[in-house]
Amino acid sequence: MATSAPISRRRASADDPRVILEEQVGVFEPVPPFPPRTEREAEFYTLGDGEMFLNMGPQHPSTHGVLRVVVKINGEVVTDLDPVLGYLHRGVEKLCENSDYHQAICYLDPLEYVSALFCEWPAVMAFEKLMDVTVPRRAEYIRVLSGELLRIASHALFMGWMALDLGGLTPILWSFIERDEIVEMLGALTGARMLFNYYRIGGVNGDLNHEFMSRLGDWMTRATEQHDANVRLLNENEIFVRRMRDLGRVDRETALRMCMTGPNLRATGVPFDVRRSHPYSVYPELDFDIPTRDEGDCLARYLLRLDEVKQSLRIIDQCLNQMPDGPVMAKLPRLLRPRPGRAYAAVESPRGQYANYAISDGTDQPFRLRIHDPSFIHLQSVGLLMPGHLIADTMAVMASLDPIMGGVDK
Amino acid sequence: MDRALRRRLEARFGDVLSGPVRQRHDETEIRIGPADLTVVMRALHDEPDLRFRFLADLAGVDSGSAMQVVYHLWSETTPDWLRVIADNLPRDDARIPSVTFLWKGAEWMEREAYDMFGITFEGNRDLRRIYMPPDYTSFPLRKDFFLADDAARSPGAGVRHMERTHSPRNATPAAVVRQAKGA
Amino acid sequence: MTVVGRAWNRLSLPGKLFFTLAPLLLVTTIAVIAILVIFGQLIVDFLAANLPIVRFVVAVTAVLLMSVPTAFLIIYMEMKVIALMNLRLGPDRVGPYGSLLSVVHGLKVLMKEDFTPTGVDSIVFTLAPVVVYLASVMSLLVIPFAPGLFGQDLNVGLLYFFAVGGLSVVGLLMAGWSSFNKYSLLGGLRSAAQIISYEIPLTLSVVGVLILAGTMSLNQIVLDQRGSFLDWFAFKQPLGLLIFFIAATAEANRTPFDLTEADSEIVAGFATEYSGMRFGFFFFAEYVNVFIMSALIVSLFFGGWTAPFDWPWPVHIELNPGGLGIGLLILLAVAPVVGTLVLAAPFWVARSSMPAWQALIIGFVLLNLLIGLGLFALAFLGWEWVVGLFWFLGKTYGFVFTFVWMRGTLPRVRIDQLMGFAWKWLLPASLLNLFVTAGAVVVLGR
Repeated sequence: MATSAPISRRRASADDPRVILEEQVGVFEPVPPFPPRTEREAEFYTLGDGEMFLNMGPQHPSTHGVLRVVVKINGEVVTDLDPVLGYLHRGVEKLCENSDYHQAICYLDPLEYVSALFCEWPAVMAFEKLMDVTVPRRAEYIRVLSGELLRIASHALFMGWMALDLGGLTPILWSFIERDEIVEMLGALTGARMLFNYYRIGGVNGDLNHEFMSRLGDWMTRATEQHDANVRLLNENEIFVRRMRDLGRVDRETALRMCMTGPNLRATGVPFDVRRSHPYSVYPELDFDIPTRDEGDCLARYLLRLDEVKQSLRIIDQCLNQMPDGPVMAKLPRLLRPRPGRAYAAVESPRGQYANYAISDGTDQPFRLRIHDPSFIHLQSVGLLMPGHLIADTMAVMASLDPIMGGVDK
Repeated sequence: MDRALRRRLEARFGDVLSGPVRQRHDETEIRIGPADLTVVMRALHDEPDLRFRFLADLAGVDSGSAMQVVYHLWSETTPDWLRVIADNLPRDDARIPSVTFLWKGAEWMEREAYDMFGITFEGNRDLRRIYMPPDYTSFPLRKDFFLADDAARSPGAGVRHMERTHSPRNATPAAVVRQAKGA
Repeated sequence: MTVVGRAWNRLSLPGKLFFTLAPLLLVTTIAVIAILVIFGQLIVDFLAANLPIVRFVVAVTAVLLMSVPTAFLIIYMEMKVIALMNLRLGPDRVGPYGSLLSVVHGLKVLMKEDFTPTGVDSIVFTLAPVVVYLASVMSLLVIPFAPGLFGQDLNVGLLYFFAVGGLSVVGLLMAGWSSFNKYSLLGGLRSAAQIISYEIPLTLSVVGVLILAGTMSLNQIVLDQRGSFLDWFAFKQPLGLLIFFIAATAEANRTPFDLTEADSEIVAGFATEYSGMRFGFFFFAEYVNVFIMSALIVSLFFGGWTAPFDWPWPVHIELNPGGLGIGLLILLAVAPVVGTLVLAAPFWVARSSMPAWQALIIGFVLLNLLIGLGLFALAFLGWEWVVGLFWFLGKTYGFVFTFVWMRGTLPRVRIDQLMGFAWKWLLPASLLNLFVTAGAVVVLGR
């Protein structure tokens, strides 16, 4: 074995050959090259007996994007964990401050790119509150319909990722079939497959069209069977269940203290769902249940999302039955200048409460648009759930919380 | 709009509120000073007729004249979102107590507010930059932030050359001096 | 400078090489011929007296040569089978149904840069893939492919297999330790822990077979199972088979026990820092290992090369090509042409859009297939080893398919579950199997 001391090598800079760079080669120790800034950082970057750092990411096969996690391990056991963010930071909040109210919507799309409609929705709702716009009921129903479709797509993808992080190769491709169906039909509706830019202030961009409806009808006839078939790939798999059970357990109080929302909170037994707890859009008119589970472990989080898919199918069915006629856009002036004020709007995205807080100063640009992203909140609880588990479980726990790095890094 | 909540808040916090309780749509808003934050938040969280157990959002805001920290709370006792605005933080040295003693999950949101606005949350164990690089010197979401200045001042500028000095022809000492003089 | 010197300087590099090598080659050839003429009889006598040496050299060469195509075949099988299970198409560009893709992969790996990172222990780093590859290839020596078709009939064949197969863990540990990378280190240590743990149930589970067969020679074990498929040890040792199968999966680092190269956890484990052909060695070794483990399961429990049942209608073809005399030559000259035309005709007639040359190509390919099939049928009926090889490879690839199937279906287990399973379940079960078998042999008198 070579020496463990860092080997440094001097070489000329690629930019300017006169500049000589001294760089450390060989093993990369993920310890920051400056004195610790906080108590926590000092504590984390001090190695105990028999411990070592393992740097996962930003290029790692299973960090769901460009997340970097510094893991402190003792043998195979993770003793502590420090997620390092910012590799995908685009400054969306700043961009939104410098664009007008319509333009801001398309900046919000790529935040949680697997469920992009839910990023537009709270912003649109907040802007509508600022301007006191009433959205036509047909537009609200279309929003709910497309949103629930996308929720199913997102949960299908979650199922595949979950299995992939545990080493199963097949489920991700099976669930991508389902997701692709949905994304194709949303493409027919909105014109884009992934980043839709479909919800507008005061309504939606276009009415339901024939291609969307025929694709949706085809898919709805076999959605339940397809979902059950995909579910059966993993639910009865002994290895999968034994790995997920009792892993990353979080109790109700801790979940509330960690500000968790969505399926992760409901898996601990708290029936908090923004669709029912703080109803918006036409959800009060629709009949659906809020599934909860009490275990709070990774298996519960996984199974809960499967239950939600069934509820979403119910909602889609009701939306199609109750879809009213009428316009899909409210009458609005072309240039939007809301009165000065503040508005907060939240929706239940597939990952939890997705909220926006908009401040208007009377101009045509938002003075401040705060984006509250559930992925960001959930990712910080990995540090709480992981200690004591094994390296192999790091990715399983992270996948069960289902963070999307585009949303985490804004 | 939940009038009962407004009455309860006025009765309970009437002396610390720095403005009237405002209500619009499904939001109720109170304004307090940063010094009262700990007391107000603890009361909102713990007292049985309030029970705001759920911190929905924590946002830093630069209002142009002062810094604000805005909290959104949810409770099953009311159909409204409760917005608590901790107002009038000085722009040059904004300090406010952390709420991590109630909601540990606020830690990263406070880190983000620190990173973007330079608001110091006293009591947060881990108040370091979260998005921007650790050696970044300014706070991007403040209203006095100008992108070009800060990019030039950030340490990254010295490591990777700007495009003007990239080609060796331009990188002669005379050209570098010329650039430094701002020609 | 002389004329010769000037002419030499004018030559290009290939020219210089040619004029250097040609005389050397000439001299060498003459010397070899001279040696063969003078000592030829002596050498032949020596080799005849030491036939095992000749056999060994030939066997080693054959085994080395067959390992790479075997790996190619299994890699292609894995790509295609898993693709179909995933509802994908899988490879379909290179060769018919993409069957040459793994060959292309092999060439690609060969042509890639062989990169040695800074900080590695370069000697150990270079040796590790060789050790791993040789350990798996050497195990092939004792496997009986067919009656008379085996590298060496060692009377301690099974012992040799376990000894040499256990060497691969040294290679993995070397790779993990020398790579100067924490993922590699974790992967190497995981593989050491895993393979050493599973070596014990693996070895203990076959002791029952050894007691029943009374020998360690794999040939003898296969011969013991001759007869119908009811004589296979799978039916006398079902528990042993189960344990052996599970432990063999772990030994070959296959899903669900592929923790050493768990890509979602430790990137590629011990192979993280390897590239080019060194990585290729690891890759090939893994697939050769799959073949070996399947072959061993077949040899130990499923009757090896023996047929599962006797063909109830024995066929004897009295074929004497020499009896045709001059007719044979005419047949050889005419048959290909006539056969091609006859086979091409239906295509040409039935599909008017098809040009004649395409129909001829199809006819030629079909003719070759038919002749190949006929020759195989002849060989199958005439030679025992062809039959044996047929059954052996059929059963073995059946198990290879099972390994691939498991890879497509199962997620990975966790390291603590893996070790717990080995020590808490497999080891007691294999001991139980051993005691029950021994007791039964003592009571029933075999």
